Amino acid sequence: MVRCPDLLDEDEGGVALRTFAEVIAAVEAYCPWVTAVRPGICSLPARGPARYFGGEGSLVELVQEAASEVTPAEVGVADGLFAAVLAARRGLIVPPDRTPEFLAPLPVSILGLDELAGLLDRLGIRTLGGFAALPDPHVLGRFGADGAHAHRVAGGRSGEPADLRQPRITRLLAGEETDDSPVVTEPGFWGGASDADARAARCLVAAQELLGPDGVVTARLQGGRGPAERARFVTWTTGDPPRGAVPGVVRLPAGGSGAPWPGQIPPPAPSVVHPDPVRADLADARGEPVRVSGRGLLTATPDRLSIEGGPWEPVSEWGGPWPSDERWWSRSRRRGARLQAVTARAAHLLLAERGRWWVEATYG
Amino acid sequence: MFVSAPERRLVRDHDPAALAVLAELAERTRPVAASRTRLLPVLPALAGLLPDGALRRGTTVTVGRPGDDGALSLALSLVSAASAAGSWCALVGHPALGAVAAADLGVDLGRLALLPRPGVAWAEATAAVLEGVDLVVLCPPFAPRPAMARRLVARARERRAVLIVVPGRAGWPEPPDLQLSVDAATWEGLDAGEGHLRRRRMTVTAAGRRSAARPVHHHLWLPGSDGTVAPADDPLDPAA
Repeated sequence: MVRCPDLLDEDEGGVALRTFAEVIAAVEAYCPWVTAVRPGICSLPARGPARYFGGEGSLVELVQEAASEVTPAEVGVADGLFAAVLAARRGLIVPPDRTPEFLAPLPVSILGLDELAGLLDRLGIRTLGGFAALPDPHVLGRFGADGAHAHRVAGGRSGEPADLRQPRITRLLAGEETDDSPVVTEPGFWGGASDADARAARCLVAAQELLGPDGVVTARLQGGRGPAERARFVTWTTGDPPRGAVPGVVRLPAGGSGAPWPGQIPPPAPSVVHPDPVRADLADARGEPVRVSGRGLLTATPDRLSIEGGPWEPVSEWGGPWPSDERWWSRSRRRGARLQAVTARAAHLLLAERGRWWVEATYG
Repeated sequence: MFVSAPERRLVRDHDPAALAVLAELAERTRPVAASRTRLLPVLPALAGLLPDGALRRGTTVTVGRPGDDGALSLALSLVSAASAAGSWCALVGHPALGAVAAADLGVDLGRLALLPRPGVAWAEATAAVLEGVDLVVLCPPFAPRPAMARRLVARARERRAVLIVVPGRAGWPEPPDLQLSVDAATWEGLDAGEGHLRRRRMTVTAAGRRSAARPVHHHLWLPGSDGTVAPADDPLDPAA
């Protein structure tokens, strides 16, 4: 979450909006999924980039630095949009699952619902914690659906008050962008390249008009252990240099994608990397589930594989497991193991994590 | 394919050699053809599969049948040489590309546009990118209607692009100019828990219309141990 105090007031197509667009562009160097929430506030999912940039602390520092080069900015991390805005105001990083604790001492008025705050005050409830402690059915009965929603927000259970987002901001920013991008028709924009680049740009812009800006992306490689971490997908823009790096990416933790990553699976790389790991079940010859022991060994020989509850397929060959211990320095440490398994139809890279198997990638 | 009606009459009246001369002439005088050649290069390992030893602009190629292991890798390796030579490529409808594998096969990621989830607008989006992208790899997310497929094939021909369809489960109702299928794929490198996937030996069959009517079989390492494509000699067939 990035909050720019100077840019909170809306001005139609004015300086603040342009500056905000610059902030978003600066932050996008760290994460492609930056969302403009309302003028002066943008959000980004912290989990992935934080893992990549070496923890939420260093991510916040990097984002803060990038945004502050444009305008004064506050950066914070918490679960949910509402808590994250408050965390940003205080420059805090709220650890996962601690958001309710963070919210508890704050005054009810912070929800921005004067009527509700007045009612609660008369009941002697002045903090979000006090409000959140009220039993659900009572809140619903007494304060109605809006009150119940505010109750969930106060308890850190649901993300945001209804009017926090201003979807208009996206359209305003989009308007800004079209003003600034006449480059499409300019031949040789990519540094001496041809009008083939310009033709491609024109048709990709047309595809974006059809599918939305995020409908057309390009891939960039970066360092990482797992296949999913080794590439990043960013929204395609006409200004994309064919192979240049985004400014922020020079700060790779281990010196770039060419650097050795301990624990990386040797090449060849899988041609299919599932953006969301797919649930899988791995069983031995007796049909018992195969697990990875605390010492990083398989509890039995893999015999068959089922993907997303599908039919069992015999595993003809397998290799591993290789331990993957990510973010070992951090509280949100992730321990798991990877395994390659070949069935009659395909070869998969499986990941054992959170007590089960996932298909992370497929050698399609 | 671009000889206009009067020329066609002319050819009928004269000896067959005139056809070649005319075709060349037409190619040279076409304003577009001046800057864009008829053929797009492919990797040497794949050249034997294609009737021209390269991808002919304006044609449609299907890669793999439903359930074929390795169809996506094969499609990516088809576009990689042209991509490295500066052509733009697009991948439409594949939500989970392994970008590292694509780069290892030689695809220039800077000139690869991904339309991972075009949804119901997939045909429109494909038509849009065919306007200006040389090679479009399409993985239809839904079964295409014949008319829709025909329109895309026509669009590719008209825009002199190459449409590479990976039909997957959705299928492709139009007969392509060239059909590549993966007949056998076996992985090397694993042995009961030891080792890691090292390379895949693949038998690819090419069949098509006209000059490609006789099926051609080729054995490839795809991917090879460094992620690239290499020819694999066939021990069972000394002629290969």
